Order: sequence, then structure tokens, then C-alpha cells
Amino acid sequence: MKKALVIFLTLLSVKLVAQDQYTKGMQKAFDLWESQKPTEAANLFERIAVAEDDNWLPYYYVAQINTFGSFGITDEKQLKQQLGKAKEFLDIAKRLSPDNPELLVQEAMINTAWMAYDGATYGPTLAAKNTQLYAKAQALSPENPRVVFTKAEWDMGSARYFGKDITPYCKDVTRALELFATFKSDIAFYPSWGKKRAEEVAAQCKTE
Amino acid sequence: MKTLAYTIFIFLGTLIAFGQQTINGKVTDISNAPVVGANVYLEGTYDGASTDENGNFVFETEETGTQTLVISMLSYDTHYEMGDVSLLTNLKLILREAINSLNGVTLTAGTFEAGDNSKVSVLKPLDIVTTAGAAGDFVAALQTLPGTTTVSEDGRLFVRGGAAGETQVFIDGLRVFQPFNATANNIPTRGRFSPFLFKGITFSTGGYSAEYGQALSSVLLLNTVDAPDQEKTDISIMSVGGGLGHTEIWGNQSLSINTQYINLSPYEALLPSTQGVRWNNPFESIAGEAVFRSRGDKSLFKFYTNFNHSNLDIAQENINFEEFVPFRLKNNNLYVNTSFKYFFPDDWTLHAGSSISWDTNDIGIFENTITTNERGNHLKLKVKKAFSNRFILNFGSEFFHTDFDETFVDESGFNATSSYNDNLVAGFVESDIFFSNAFAMKLGARAEHSSVLDRGSISPRVSLAYKSSEKGQFSVAYGDFYQNPLNEVLRFDQNLQSEKTSHYILNYQYLSNGRTFRAEAFYKDYDQLIKFNTELPQFDSQFDNTGNGYATGLDIFWRDNKSVKNLDYWVSYSFLDTERDFRNFRESATPNFAPRHNFSVVTKYWSNKLKSQIGLTYNYGSGRPFDNPNTEAFLAEKTPSFNNLSFNWAYLLDQQKILYFSINNVLGLNNINNYEYANTPNMDGFFERQAIRPPADSFFFVGFFWTISTDKKSNQLDNL
Repeated sequence: MKKALVIFLTLLSVKLVAQDQYTKGMQKAFDLWESQKPTEAANLFERIAVAEDDNWLPYYYVAQINTFGSFGITDEKQLKQQLGKAKEFLDIAKRLSPDNPELLVQEAMINTAWMAYDGATYGPTLAAKNTQLYAKAQALSPENPRVVFTKAEWDMGSARYFGKDITPYCKDVTRALELFATFKSDIAFYPSWGKKRAEEVAAQCKTE
Repeated sequence: MKTLAYTIFIFLGTLIAFGQQTINGKVTDISNAPVVGANVYLEGTYDGASTDENGNFVFETEETGTQTLVISMLSYDTHYEMGDVSLLTNLKLILREAINSLNGVTLTAGTFEAGDNSKVSVLKPLDIVTTAGAAGDFVAALQTLPGTTTVSEDGRLFVRGGAAGETQVFIDGLRVFQPFNATANNIPTRGRFSPFLFKGITFSTGGYSAEYGQALSSVLLLNTVDAPDQEKTDISIMSVGGGLGHTEIWGNQSLSINTQYINLSPYEALLPSTQGVRWNNPFESIAGEAVFRSRGDKSLFKFYTNFNHSNLDIAQENINFEEFVPFRLKNNNLYVNTSFKYFFPDDWTLHAGSSISWDTNDIGIFENTITTNERGNHLKLKVKKAFSNRFILNFGSEFFHTDFDETFVDESGFNATSSYNDNLVAGFVESDIFFSNAFAMKLGARAEHSSVLDRGSISPRVSLAYKSSEKGQFSVAYGDFYQNPLNEVLRFDQNLQSEKTSHYILNYQYLSNGRTFRAEAFYKDYDQLIKFNTELPQFDSQFDNTGNGYATGLDIFWRDNKSVKNLDYWVSYSFLDTERDFRNFRESATPNFAPRHNFSVVTKYWSNKLKSQIGLTYNYGSGRPFDNPNTEAFLAEKTPSFNNLSFNWAYLLDQQKILYFSINNVLGLNNINNYEYANTPNMDGFFERQAIRPPADSFFFVGFFWTISTDKKSNQLDNL
């Protein structure tokens, strides 16, 4: 009986070690990212993703690093590879966690990267897709600050283009800022970006 | 006590297991250059590192025993190294460049693709429809590509010295039997299909895959959209009619329908066509298309159908008749296409499909009537297996059935019927072999047997591509192509052979960001062409396969959308030297549909300030040969050259409303396509002639397009 207990405790500690390993690994990846080592960070997220294989978060961060890193790339070959990798990891994340608003927002970011590279080529097909993605994310999670903010920023872009009033979208940005202040998730390492950018956009709203 | 010792033992064991082992090495590519930023790790663990600027990596692990070391890096094949952890030190690892469609060599000789992401795309779907002068007809937009010739009174595709009947059209890999609207002589036709249901268009001007047959010159491959982005309703009101479209999505299933009514009466009442025609009942058509798609985890089912009814009543000037010759036409066409794709494990893909079409024409010329019925059927089964990304095998078989009859009744009640039916069986096998990212080969063969001719053929197809630099590549292609004689011949005589061509193609392509240059030289050898001894094929004609000919030339294409902001343009030039002895030719000569030089420039400018896309297209074709019976020489004279400048303007009223305006032939230039000579000389022994001109020099078009969608953003700019 005692033996069984010891074995059980040992197993438990191994499990704890494993969990701790995840926390440590993720934390280390974020540290690398913050210290301007995105390649190393992405590689570590990728290792965690492959080892855990049922957790969407490390896949999400691989996609995100590759997407953010692609803005400003002018070589089409490199861009295709990087955004291709982002999409590949995002697709796995979407399989692990269907109907996840954070992943829909991330998918829209990948499309935006394509449009930023060549609006004339990718705009006509991807703009409609993005609008659809934001609408779906909004329906799934109307209180998620990133969903509210990214959607508002997207809508603002097209309203500006057609010379329409952007006030309603500025209101959405303000609401997103309130949501950023209160948003909490029980999941460790849940996405938390966007507040700073929202503050910048809110400031632009005031000056216009 | 015992228990305690046991616990300590386990604890020590764990400690030993936690002993650290160093794994290190260097990663390079095949040219020994270091690979920087590669992810090196033990499979299933977090233990790993990224390679530094010298390709070196080092990390510690607590794992023991046999492990798999994974080295992964963008654009390289992932490398696996298995071994005991203690042996994974001072490794020298070499990564092989991955074969991929993004930057590797592509087999492109002869092919133009229009698609969203394809590397070899020269046109995007949007381009097809925003080209000035194309008026929403995707075939007209393809006529701005090199390899095609301007035969403006016909409207179909004439490719590299080939007649219009030498091009076949396929939707989702299945044959379309009547891709063009029925029309009167010298009134240009249009494609039956609306471009916006298609996601990709491949236009091959020669040397195409063994998967396609029964086309001597060219194939046009259309693929329907797999999954629409959103639900929407499209409304269009045009100076020539109106249209209504709707897309509905339910989870993995979706349905798009599109209907259009065209009537030229109001336009003709306002701006009547005066050049040699009198419309009694201008062109009228009602058309409906629908696509249903259902997507499974590993499968894709598509159903496409198109119904078209058109009628017209026209009287045309003819040198051989005092009065205008009346011509009435009623056409009904129904086309149904079903395809199913299933993805099996281990990279096996199965593609099965069938298409069927029913086409009827009721034609009246004076008091004579002609009724035609044609039923076409295509069944196809194709299997694809990717053994690796370096070796892909395609094979399949197909079956075509054609049933054609025509009844002629003259005013006295005399009638004559001619008909034939054919079962054609074909099989093909083809492999794509990538030796490296710089060198690839496609090797295939096709076998066919036609029941009506009671003959078979085997045609080899080969193409090679070599990437000579980062942005440039050379390709060569060779193939034999067979096609049964056309309906107009087969219904009178079936004791004939297939017509044949051989294509030889040399292609150079240069792709840089936003700029494309292509040059392609070709030689086509025609053999076994049908000849007959009457003006037109008829019941008492003598037919044989003794015709032959050649076509050779050079096609140049340049496209640039980067040099000037918001300006996109492309330039095409084709040089064509061809002669053939076919039909009722008395000797070898250049046919009327083959002008020597063709040139076109398409420009599109997007103005943010005007919220408009403005387009200009210029087409030039050098003089076309015609035969002057007043001289001895055959087909020795040439028409004046063809010139056309077209203009369009799409203005975004708001996100969902577009006003569109276009003029074809802005300058009102008089173009002469051909001359028709009198059958008999006049009193002075001279054959009089009449110029064949378009019914009107210019054509105006105004339309209003409104999209209603959930997102309030999409519009029909891509449908124009």
C-alpha cells in the first residue's frame, strides 16, 4: 500500500515537473522574444508546440512571431515562406481549438500582412475574408478587447478611405480600452497584446 | 526500512536520469554554407537550440537512450538524425533545399495561369474582368495575351495559327462541349461563363499535359471557386440588360447562383448598327448558372450547371444577294458538371467527374431551316500519387460520347439529315520529376481510340525546365496532339483519320517582384488535316486527310505593376508565320485568321482621389490575308491592319455601389476583317467585293452594380 503511494507520489512529481517545464519553457520563450531574439523564441515555441501537441498557445505564438516578423519584408520569396509557416501553425492551432476568437484575429493579421505587401493583388480577395473573420470573432466573443479593437481598426481603415465618419469606430476603440483594463483569462500565457496600439489609435481619434 | 531504501533508490535513479548530456554540432547546406536560425531539438522534448550565425548549435538534455534529433528550417527539407544521446555530439548536418512551388523551377512552357497565388500567374482573376474592351468576357481578356490572334468578327480563341475549333475548354478538368454562345456569321460571340464563379484560369497555348486531348492548339482550363468567402447578393443594371446573383453558405456547404438577362433592343433602338446589318430582333439571352459545393474533411464535391437560351433575328448584307440575307437563330444549351475529389492517406488523391451537355439550334436562312442537336458526355477518373515532393505521378482514363444530328429542310419541303455518334476512350499517365529546385521534368503519354474513326493514337508529351538564375528559367516542351475532325465534317464522312499537330516550344521566363517577362518560340507541324473539294463541307464532298501545314513564331509578354504607383500594364507581341493546305485550299497559304503581327497593350490605373479604376487597351493586328478571285494568286492580298482602342471607367460610389462605363473602339476606327467576293463576275468579267466590317464601329456600355452583403464592404469590381 505504502509502495503504491510512493509510486503515485513519484508519478505526481514527474507530472508536476512536466507542468513546470511547460511554464518554464513558455516563460523562457517570452524572455527570448522580449530580448529581441524572435528566431530563438519562435524555435522554442515550436519545440514546445510539437512536444505538447494538444495546446494551441505555442502554435499561436509561432504563427504570431512569423506574422509580425513579415511586415516590412520586400522579398516575395521570403515573405511567402514566413507567412506560409505562420498559416501552417495557425491551422494546427485552429484544429486544436476551433472557434477561438484569438486565432481568428491572428488569421486576419496574416491576411493583413499580405495586403500590406501588395494591396492591389491581395486586397480584393483577402479584404472580404478579413471582414468575415472579424465578424465571426465578434459574434464568438463580443467582450474580447483584441477582437473589439482589431475589428474597429479594420473598419476605420475602410471608412477613412471612403471619406466616411470614423466616430463610431473611435467609440469602439474606447470601449476596447475599457475591456483591456478588465480582461482576465484563467489560461496561463493567454494572449494579452494590443493595449498599447489601442491607446495610439485612441490618441489619433482625438486629434482628427 | 525496506520501503525507505526503495524510495531512496527510486530517488537516486531519478537523479541519474536527470544527468545532463550535451548535444552539439553544425548545420550547413549542400554548398557548405552555414544555416542560421535552424531549430535543432530532440523530438517530443523542449530540449533544443537555434543555430548561430556560423550554423553551430549546442544544448543540454536530460534524455537518455535512443532519441531522434530534428533539424527544421524554412525552405529546407526537415532532417532527422536518430541515435543514442551520448553519440549526438560534434555532428555535421547537411540540409537539403526543399522542393517547393514557391520558388522552385516550374513547368511553364506554353502555359499562362491566372490565379491568386500561383507563382506563374500572369493575370489575376480580377484582371480578366477589368480589362478595357473585354466587357466582362474572359475570353476577350485572354485575347490580350501573346499567342492569340485578333479575329474580331469571331470572338473565339485562335491560337498560334490554329483555327478556333482547335481550342478546347475544361471546367474542373471536364470538357465543355459548347463554351461559346451561338451567333450569326461575323457577329462576335462571347464565352458562356461568368468569370466570377472561377478562381483560376490556365490558358495553355501549346505543349500541354497528357491529361488533355482532342485539342490541336490550345486548352483553356477553368476551376470553380472551392469555398466562397461570404454570403451576398449582387444586383446589376446595365444598358444591355440586368443580372441577379446570390451566394448562400451553410457550414461546409455553399451555393452560388447567377442569372442574367441580356437584350440589345434598347441599345439598337438608340444607336442602331448600320454597317451591313439590320436587326429584326436583336440578340436576346437568358442565362443561369449555379455552383453547389460540399466540403468534407478529406473530400470536395462540386456541382456546376449552366443554362442558356438565346435568340436573334438579323438580316445581313451579302454580295451574292440583292436583298439582305435573313438569319434567325434560337439556341438552348444546358451543361452539367459534377466532380468529386477525395484525399486518401499517403498522398493518394482520387478525382472523379462527369460532364454532360445538350445543345440545340434552330436556324432559319430565307425559308430554309436547319435544326441541330448535339449531346456530349465526358467521364473521367484521375489518380494522383505524390511519392515525395520530388516525384508525383498522375494517371487516369476518360470516356467521351458525342451524338450529333442535323436536319435541313428547304422551302419545298425537301429534307436531309446527317448525323454521327462517337465513343472515344482515352488513358493517360504522366509524372512530374523534380531533380532539384533548378531542374524538373514532366513526362507523359496519352492513348486514345475513337469508335467513329475506328482508329487509335498514342501521343507522347515531354517538358523540361531549368532555372538558370534566381529569377530566370528556360523551358522546353514537345508533344503530339490529335483531334477528331469537326462535326461539320464527321456528319458527312466517317472514313477519316484524326488531324495531328506536333508542338516544339522553347520558353524563357523572368520573374522579379511585380515584373514578368516571357519569351516563347514555337514550331508547330500540322499533318493529316482534312481537305474537301467543295466550298463548304457538304453531303457530296470528297473528304480526305491529305492536308498539312506549319506554324512558327515568337511570343513576347511583359507585365509590370511596380514601376509606376497604382499603374499596372502589360504588353504582348506575337509574330506568326504560318501556312497550311487544308479544307478547300488549292495550295498551301496563310489562312485569313492568321495575321503576321499581333500587338496589344493593356493599362489599368487606380486613382485613390477619384476612387476609380481607369483602363485603356490597345489592340493591333497586321493585315489579314484574303483571296481575290480577280488575280491568279491564292490568298495573296491583305486587308488593312486592325486597330482598336478601348476605354473603361469603374467608379466606386460607395463601398458597395459601382458605376461602370466603357467604350470599345473610342476612336471609331474603321476596321475591315475580310472581303467577300461575288460568286460570279460582273459584265466586265470582274468579281465585285464587299468589305466585312463590324456591325458598328464602337460600342458603349453603362452599368450600375450593387452588392448587398453582411459585411457591407464587398462590391462587384471583380465581376466587371
